[in-house]
Amino acid sequence: MLESELATKFAAYAEARLPGARNARVASINRIHGGASRQTYSIDLAYEDATGPKVKGLILRRDPPDSLIDTERRIEFAAIKSAYGQRDLPVPEALFLETDPAALGAPFFVMGRIEKGEPLNPFRIDAVEPHRAAIGEQFFRHLGSIAALPVEGSPLAAETDTPAPDQCWRRELDYWANEIRSNAKDPQPVAEAAIRHLERNPPPPAQRLSVVHGDYRTGNYLHDGEGTITAILDWEMAHIGDPYEDLAWATDLLWCGNDQERAAGLVPWPEAIAMWQQASGCTFDPAAFEWWSLFAHVKALGIWVTSEKAFANGENDDPILAWSGWFTHAAHELMLAMRLGPKYGAGA
Amino acid sequence: MSDIGMILDRIGRKLVTEVAPKLEGDYSGGHAGMSGLMAVMAGEAWDGAADRLANEIAGLRGLLALAGETVSVAKSPSLKVSDLKTERDALARDLIEVQIVLEGRDDDAARDLNAKIWMHLMATSMARMPSAPEFPDAEE
Repeated sequence: MLESELATKFAAYAEARLPGARNARVASINRIHGGASRQTYSIDLAYEDATGPKVKGLILRRDPPDSLIDTERRIEFAAIKSAYGQRDLPVPEALFLETDPAALGAPFFVMGRIEKGEPLNPFRIDAVEPHRAAIGEQFFRHLGSIAALPVEGSPLAAETDTPAPDQCWRRELDYWANEIRSNAKDPQPVAEAAIRHLERNPPPPAQRLSVVHGDYRTGNYLHDGEGTITAILDWEMAHIGDPYEDLAWATDLLWCGNDQERAAGLVPWPEAIAMWQQASGCTFDPAAFEWWSLFAHVKALGIWVTSEKAFANGENDDPILAWSGWFTHAAHELMLAMRLGPKYGAGA
Repeated sequence: MSDIGMILDRIGRKLVTEVAPKLEGDYSGGHAGMSGLMAVMAGEAWDGAADRLANEIAGLRGLLALAGETVSVAKSPSLKVSDLKTERDALARDLIEVQIVLEGRDDDAARDLNAKIWMHLMATSMARMPSAPEFPDAEE
């Protein structure tokens, strides 16, 4: 669908859903690069209502022909609703969810646009200076706050299952092992060995059942350049599970700018853990973290092989998928091999 | 010109340093930058691809021999990367099965061979890791 056609259809759709709106038109529409799991557009919607003319900044997230992650937009929508207005989490307002592809050619949802902020490239974390410590403090406090969100009765709980505390790991490992086995174009001896290792050495049961963002990391938040995180984005892998899953993913070496001294490349580990504990109410358990940290590499491989397949099959020609299937896949395979090999007697 | 690695490198750098900045703000600018980055990486990988696969194949055949396996995987009919990859993949599938058996045993011989398999996996993972190109004057 051409952007001009998309804009016309979207204006009509939004006018019908905004109370009292008339003469709606899209004043501007720009596709945002990245976010290959959804086609993401920034839209200025101009309209009139009883109080006069208005312009509303919106973000439209539309399903692409294929995506990095095979998820339902209703789960992302529900996760954003679960977090919006809770504690001091900077989360956009979830506005419309449309599962009928007739409206815009594919299912989509719409959220309010947070006007100030830009993403931080996880491969260039140094760009955040001189606000690294401030961003790090908010990064781990918000991560803990997400873990502390109420689960029972939340919009997310209504859309997804709630595992038993001792089954969180099993559900996630089974899911991502299946993704790897279903989508890998080549044999994956490192991933397969890692999956077996994780099965033989399960983590302790979850200390609590939490909202898990699923992709909480540098690159998936906006910051204002003055030391404030203004938005936490990309909730498409959200689910209910063990909060260690998010902690391990957020501090995965790939998102740390190769800085192993600072958690997530932002703040020293002891400070990060203390902030996360305080905000989440969880107690840090090294054994649980070790398991979920290794699992994070496996989960990443599941995403990367799915990306590679979508690109190779021509379902989605976004070059970011080729990059994921190549560079980031190789990086996580190497991390797994170097961490697991010594456990089985191989010298580093 | 037949220096494919050099051609890919130069094309990639042009995309990143000249084309992508001119498309800044447009969605295709991101595509151009990412494509250029990978063209440079492909130039580097192209040169070493057959060598890397041949090393992996030799390592896999050695490990399967140590395991006492009768390897039925045919040798590659050529040095084409696609042929070598077919052979490597078949051997890797066999290695996965061997490692599963070893992990189920509780003896020193099994542990020793499993350690050798892990050394192979560490070495091949390291060899596969592309180096990320540096573009000091350009944005991704």
